[in-house]
Amino acid sequence: MTHIPTIAEAAALLAARKISPVELARQCLDRVAALNDTLHAFITVTAERAMDDAKAAEARLMAGTPRGRLDGIPIAHKDIYATRGIATTAHSKLLKGWVPTEDATTVRMLAEAGTVMLGKLATHEFAFGGPSFDLPWPPARNPWNPDHFTSGSSSGTGAAVAAGMILGGTGSDTGGSIRGPASLCGIAGLKPTYGLCPRTGILPLAFSLDHAGPMAWTVEDCALLLQHMAGFDPADPGSADRPVPDFTAQLGQDIKGKRIGVVRHWHETDAKVSPAVQKGIDGALAIWKDQGAEIVEVVLPSLFEYQAANFVIITTEGYSLHEPWMRTRFNDYGELLRDRMVMGALMASTDYVQALRRRAELCALTAAATKGVDILVTAGAPAEAPRIDSVPKWANLQNPGFTNPFNITGWPAMCVCSGYGEGGMPVAIQIAAKPFQEPLLLQVAHAFEQAAGLRNRRPELATVPPQIGKTLADAGLTLPASDMAGLGAVVEELQAGAAALRGPRSYANEPAATFQLPAGT
Amino acid sequence: MAKTSLEDFKALVRRAGLALTPEQIDEIYIGWGHVEPMFERIRSYGRDRAAEPAHVFRPDFFTQDAAKEG
Repeated sequence: MTHIPTIAEAAALLAARKISPVELARQCLDRVAALNDTLHAFITVTAERAMDDAKAAEARLMAGTPRGRLDGIPIAHKDIYATRGIATTAHSKLLKGWVPTEDATTVRMLAEAGTVMLGKLATHEFAFGGPSFDLPWPPARNPWNPDHFTSGSSSGTGAAVAAGMILGGTGSDTGGSIRGPASLCGIAGLKPTYGLCPRTGILPLAFSLDHAGPMAWTVEDCALLLQHMAGFDPADPGSADRPVPDFTAQLGQDIKGKRIGVVRHWHETDAKVSPAVQKGIDGALAIWKDQGAEIVEVVLPSLFEYQAANFVIITTEGYSLHEPWMRTRFNDYGELLRDRMVMGALMASTDYVQALRRRAELCALTAAATKGVDILVTAGAPAEAPRIDSVPKWANLQNPGFTNPFNITGWPAMCVCSGYGEGGMPVAIQIAAKPFQEPLLLQVAHAFEQAAGLRNRRPELATVPPQIGKTLADAGLTLPASDMAGLGAVVEELQAGAAALRGPRSYANEPAATFQLPAGT
Repeated sequence: MAKTSLEDFKALVRRAGLALTPEQIDEIYIGWGHVEPMFERIRSYGRDRAAEPAHVFRPDFFTQDAAKEG
């Protein structure tokens, strides 16, 4: 089976010149070629740009002037991040053909760090409506089982990272759009503190709740990406003007004495989680306790309270952006986005202000209930990924999200794989910290991830060597996901068998079957 | 089931200037039934009359460039 390196591993291999940026980019592009017809993670593949970036990174490495640990690392951007000269669609008919003239600030920062840009990734339409089957591009599918949902809205990033098409990518999170796909796709996703990462050039959903952040296979990889996404940008009114800390500095340090608060009523009462999710939370608490942390129970307002404020703010702020098109091109939106977003047009202006006042109360209540607590923990999502064709239209209204509280408060929060449940689908825990405490958040999440030892398992279809996947794709063969997964499981044996048949044997040895003319001719 | 009657809901849609089909109105009306309880949660907490929203207006934000330029 093919090992897909993490960003940290790839950075070490690149520094030791055991792999070149060009080889690494080619491997990822081959995997994109092999899997994208199944996963639909990419809307646009920028292969030429990727090879140009990779060659430039290679030249820097050979000259001994690398730009840091992200130099030569293949990434891609959610398709609401503006990319200069490259179509940015928001996965919507309304923006089909739009080519920005400027990069989003975070796109520029990651490019300056030397990353190799492979393309633009699927999203729920304008980061809100999905999974939708009535848009110009199909929805991304879950690499662990492509019949299942990725969650969203950073759906393509979740799928592409899990499948090893890229080593990391960008997402955005207004109600849980980084952490949802991270949970269901079995990767790590970090929504930073509000204002830590500039949003300039990212298509907004709701100004006061939008966060930009990284998604990758591991916590450490998220820290490496965050290092080049965080920083003050005066063009973003919400941007925090404060020094950027070293996000990897505390990784590996012990967590003895840290106070970890479990918000048990959220996942055991407000929205009861599946047995696998519960097992993941209990397992994490046991690990941290063994590592010397103190586990305490925290009681916070119910999830429904955060959800109500979150939904009213998202739809009113969102609708204000979309109003001109909603009035004139309603049917050009996908059904899910338009039917959800239109709620913002029907609310009273006082509802918006009351939601903002409620937000202030919820922030104060959350802060008061967590005095003396360093970290909060709960579920990332209620259960394993459902089938993509069975997601109810009003799911986000019927059930409160575990992620909403940290959009309302603006606190940093991340989801990390905590095990596997029904059908082998991943589940996740969600870990949160106080504002601008990302180094501590990453430290505690990393301590769990290292001890849990869950990062050696990839979706089976991603383990088909990329050259073989590409050969199949070049031959016009689009194998069903189950066949790709099966191939991934046996490909090593097949290759070993083929190697054994090659020899050594005499030059003149004939095959078992020989050409023979019929008798009497 | 929404508390707002379908007729009142149609009036909201008209006021918003939206041209929806009867089928679209029926469909969104179902969703409205899920949204209404949220209003109860954000409206009534006997909050202090002076309790301000979470967002604050910063007039200096709009003058910071001018201030830097002197």
